[in-house]
Amino acid sequence: MAPDSTPGDGTVGDAGSDGTESDPAPASTRRGLLRAAAGATVAGAASAAGCLGVTTPADVAAQNDVGGNVAHFVGPSWLADNRDDVVVLDARDPERFREERIYGARRVPFDAITSRESTDSGLVPDAEAIADAFGEVGVLPDDDVLVYGASVGSRVTRTAFALGALGHAGSIRALNGGLSGWNGRLGTGDRDRITPVEYEPDPAESAWVTRDWLAERLGTFNGDGPGLVDVRIPEAYLGAPGSDALDPDNDRHGHLPGAVGVHWVGNVAGRRMTEPGRLVGLYENRAELDRAGTVVVYGDDNVDPTSTWLTLRAIGFEDVRVYDGGFGEWANVEGDRGRYPVETKTSVVVETEGSVGGDDGSGDFSCTG
Amino acid sequence: MTGSDPPSDRIVAVPCEGDDVLALFALADGEPLGEVPVGSHPVHAATAGGQTFVATMGERAVTAVGADGAVSRVETGVLGPSHFATANGELFVSCTAGDALAVVNPETLTLVTRIGVGAEPHEVAVAPDEGRLYSGSRREGAVDVVDPAAHERLGAVDVGGDACVQGVAIGPDGKRGYAIDQAGARVVAFDPDGVDETDGESAPSDDPIINAAAVGADPYDLVVAEDRVFVPGRRDGVVHEFDRDLGLAAVHEGFARPVDLFRIDGEWWVLDADADRLRSLSGAIVETPAPGLVATRVGDRLVVSHYDDDRISLVDVADGTVWTAETPAYPFGSVVI
Repeated sequence: MAPDSTPGDGTVGDAGSDGTESDPAPASTRRGLLRAAAGATVAGAASAAGCLGVTTPADVAAQNDVGGNVAHFVGPSWLADNRDDVVVLDARDPERFREERIYGARRVPFDAITSRESTDSGLVPDAEAIADAFGEVGVLPDDDVLVYGASVGSRVTRTAFALGALGHAGSIRALNGGLSGWNGRLGTGDRDRITPVEYEPDPAESAWVTRDWLAERLGTFNGDGPGLVDVRIPEAYLGAPGSDALDPDNDRHGHLPGAVGVHWVGNVAGRRMTEPGRLVGLYENRAELDRAGTVVVYGDDNVDPTSTWLTLRAIGFEDVRVYDGGFGEWANVEGDRGRYPVETKTSVVVETEGSVGGDDGSGDFSCTG
Repeated sequence: MTGSDPPSDRIVAVPCEGDDVLALFALADGEPLGEVPVGSHPVHAATAGGQTFVATMGERAVTAVGADGAVSRVETGVLGPSHFATANGELFVSCTAGDALAVVNPETLTLVTRIGVGAEPHEVAVAPDEGRLYSGSRREGAVDVVDPAAHERLGAVDVGGDACVQGVAIGPDGKRGYAIDQAGARVVAFDPDGVDETDGESAPSDDPIINAAAVGADPYDLVVAEDRVFVPGRRDGVVHEFDRDLGLAAVHEGFARPVDLFRIDGEWWVLDADADRLRSLSGAIVETPAPGLVATRVGDRLVVSHYDDDRISLVDVADGTVWTAETPAYPFGSVVI
């Protein structure tokens, strides 16, 4: 143990043997600890410690709080206030879930909530399979649900969409900032014992569109008809020859005729949703989408576009739908490809700046939870 | 009746890409007759079913102008209508920003269907008997073979994986097809009947390829006559002349930027996009008011679009320029009606 007289070594020995402060530094250290502790129980409180270059759990919580007229996304303080009233769903992979999670959170199998079924009109969400997955973890149709992941990436938003597609009657929220913003109680290990329930879906078919729904409206998108947003990276949107962004499983490359390209990562800034004012500028001013009209979003599959689905709803778009079959279905349709053409030329690519944080480690950037 | 003795009421209709109009002129004297607003970026015009159609590359539609002056819009659903072809009374439109041919009924002004073809179709050629239609893909290095009556793609000729197919033509006897590979500076001859009808959705095949030959740099289009194939190489200022199986007959040099050829009175005349003149392959010269990018033959005369100079001219290879007139911005492929 260091002698009491050792100055400024950062140990508890900085305090005098009589308990008085030997210099100002330990006092500020203590104040910081006290503020941090206070912040841990008063989530969202602004902390002076942040001004000193120290980030406390309170700072993190405050950074992730969501203000203004934004739907669906809430911060950790909201969860702290409502923890007992919501079902918390973890959208990350099983390993991350076992390692650390919000106490009491349940994990719904991701493969199940992305499942689709084939119809004459094209692929649609498999409501029965999705409902079974939620029922397995005890979610009932009128439960208020909060979903979180490592950030607010597309695993989180797909989980939210899956509930929306079932016609979920309870509220659906996403935790801004993901698990790292949460400074409350944590759980670990295998999931808690949950009694499965029967989730009876009331599919909300207005949440998605089919291949044929789109084919019948070709030529009207982002004009007289619905808005249409391709959420993939611009190289995929343009079908850039030789680009690594092209899905080798697709027979054709490009985008649906008339779609505007807005890469979905623009919805996310690190672990948080992009500042709402920027999102409004991105989608209303630059992409020129009509918030009062119908807007359809699609990607290569049915995961990434749900980020834009939830984001647009969060900033007030009234009727947002996902093409669940995605470009993968459209590009590989067999038979009458003239009915389902693709375009490779357009100038309507809206550049975005976003990045997706998190430590999911799943190896799939687009699915970072 | 020949173009050197045109009826006084014939009209030249010129899509002007820079001003989104179809400009009208009297063929007899070049008098401006008015402008018809059309869609964005009009590039080519054609007539069918008593209508004048304008390919508007900036739209997912073509514009139709009826005999009564009514202007209609026919949706293609896919961006970039650029070239027209007619077969069996229907109008086929290549949608060059997508991967489809739009089929339009010129009588009802409706989209009949779309036919899926290789991405970025450009020029479309029709067999003399109208039994087959050939569409070149700029993106996929192939010529799609289509049954225009059944509206079905039968298969495709593989011109080469890196090829960018621009011009496509079928010989007058229907026995040879040709495709220009702009990227590879080649011309390829193929058997128009060489695609097995059972190929359906199969990958393009190179089985129908008969021969290929190098041409001048940056070729774009070609001209096919009974026994000759001509390919202007725009960047090299040369015109390659081949026999029907692409045996090289001659390389004609000394042009600035040759873009097209026209046979008038037994002489082949070369349109040059960088020279104020027409020059024949035998060396005769006719001065023009400005370089010409596109021309439309009317009898023994040419209506020349001076794209960069916002003019059109009626040029007679015997008498020189008959008239010239100012146009809206960027006049392109005209039609004489």
